[in-house]
Amino acid sequence: MDAAASTRSLVRFEGAGLTFPGTSGREPVGVLKNIKLEVNAGEFVSIVGPSGCGKSTLLALVAGYLAPSAGRVLFDGRPINGPGRERMMVFQQPALFPWLTAAENVGYGLKLRANRGACTSVDERVAVLLDLVQLTGFARHYPSELSGGMRQRLEIARALAVNPQLLLMDEPLAALDALTRRTMQREVLRIWAATQKTILFVTHDIDEAVILSDRIYAMAPRPSTVREVVEIALPRPRHRDDPEITRLSRHLSSLLE
Amino acid sequence: MSRFFYRYISPLALMLIWELASRSGLVNALILPPPSGALADLVKLVLDGELLKALWASLYRILCGFTLAVVIGIVLGAVMARIRLLDLLLDPLVQLLRPISPLAIFPLAILWFGIGDASKIFIIALGASFPVILNTYAGVRCIDPNLFRASQSLGATSTEIFTSIVLPGSLPHIFTGIRLAWGISLVIIIAAEMVGASNGIGYMVLEAQQTFRTERVFAGIIVIGLLGFLTDLGFHWLRGVLLPWYRET
Repeated sequence: MDAAASTRSLVRFEGAGLTFPGTSGREPVGVLKNIKLEVNAGEFVSIVGPSGCGKSTLLALVAGYLAPSAGRVLFDGRPINGPGRERMMVFQQPALFPWLTAAENVGYGLKLRANRGACTSVDERVAVLLDLVQLTGFARHYPSELSGGMRQRLEIARALAVNPQLLLMDEPLAALDALTRRTMQREVLRIWAATQKTILFVTHDIDEAVILSDRIYAMAPRPSTVREVVEIALPRPRHRDDPEITRLSRHLSSLLE
Repeated sequence: MSRFFYRYISPLALMLIWELASRSGLVNALILPPPSGALADLVKLVLDGELLKALWASLYRILCGFTLAVVIGIVLGAVMARIRLLDLLLDPLVQLLRPISPLAIFPLAILWFGIGDASKIFIIALGASFPVILNTYAGVRCIDPNLFRASQSLGATSTEIFTSIVLPGSLPHIFTGIRLAWGISLVIIIAAEMVGASNGIGYMVLEAQQTFRTERVFAGIIVIGLLGFLTDLGFHWLRGVLLPWYRET
């Protein structure tokens, strides 16, 4: 990746905050407070923090499902206004369409009016994407017939179909068993490298964040603020027993405790 | 072998006792004719074409009323589930009208639409739409909200969300509603034809009772039972065809 591309700011939180108004006499709930965060094109950035610290809410702001009540959230220099194809969400519990086969799920976005003509042949593009996430033999399976890891890969393929610039991943591996999880971490890195996408990744697993990311934002809870930003310039693949990795993990753990 | 035996022995024994009681004069054959008499009359009804005429008259009314009920029910249920304002406006009406037996409306329907098919189609459409409305509503509300978000992010318009998420996502529930609606349609038409009609299965049964042809009453009841049983088998098959992805839990 060339240096110019890696310094173009793709996502920028400018002191963004979100407070849910208090309903039926209850106090308003402050979820996010004065968030400053930056993701450059091509980067792999993680957000770590304890459960309920507003990590998912932060992603929902970038996806455009929610709007900030203070400050601004910019994508490619412009304020985010609703959901858009350039920013695709990968949910913790895969939000696949259960009535569509794997191939139809991937092709869904390509068949929408907004994306017509985005590729010459939907079938070909679907085949390429299924191959990328190694689900070629499962094109005609329904999501209910796939394992947890396969569903997660299918959801990534569906998101990639509309050629987004940014993948938002909301604890995508949290529901998987430990072994599948390690495999999927490597998979996510492989897909990231193969597609040159930018990834904003939310996790509560510190080791996972250290293994994967260029930069980590450690969050403090209620209302959520950025406690520390950790840059990791180590080459990949990274190993858990590397002393530098262990040191970073320990440091982050002590921050979050 | 033994399961088969136990399954069929009790109805067969009942038929046999019934046949013997009726034939031996133990009970008045006018009140309880032997099953063989009812079957013989059924065969006669089929052969002279009367059954087909009556069945068609009833089925025509059911199909018209049922189709209206399904269309109205899906549209109302889906918009009520998706648009909060319409839910607030329409829900009280649905809840007020729902407990009223469609048969209570029948005299009014005759006043408005006459004694012909229209009055029957009207009360079937009315009575059978409620299970479709309620099940469609529940079906749409059961859809994972993230499916809507995913499809919005992929670029779907609200029309596309309706046809590609709302409808297929609620189809299993809608299907249950449709099946209930069909059952209700069968009940309503028989009753309505007994109250005010000049043909149809319900009319045939009532007329037979009034002219003391009790075996024909039983023949009619058998036809009604078979119709319900066979159409439900049809729905079961259709569910497998339409919803291959759906796993009942």
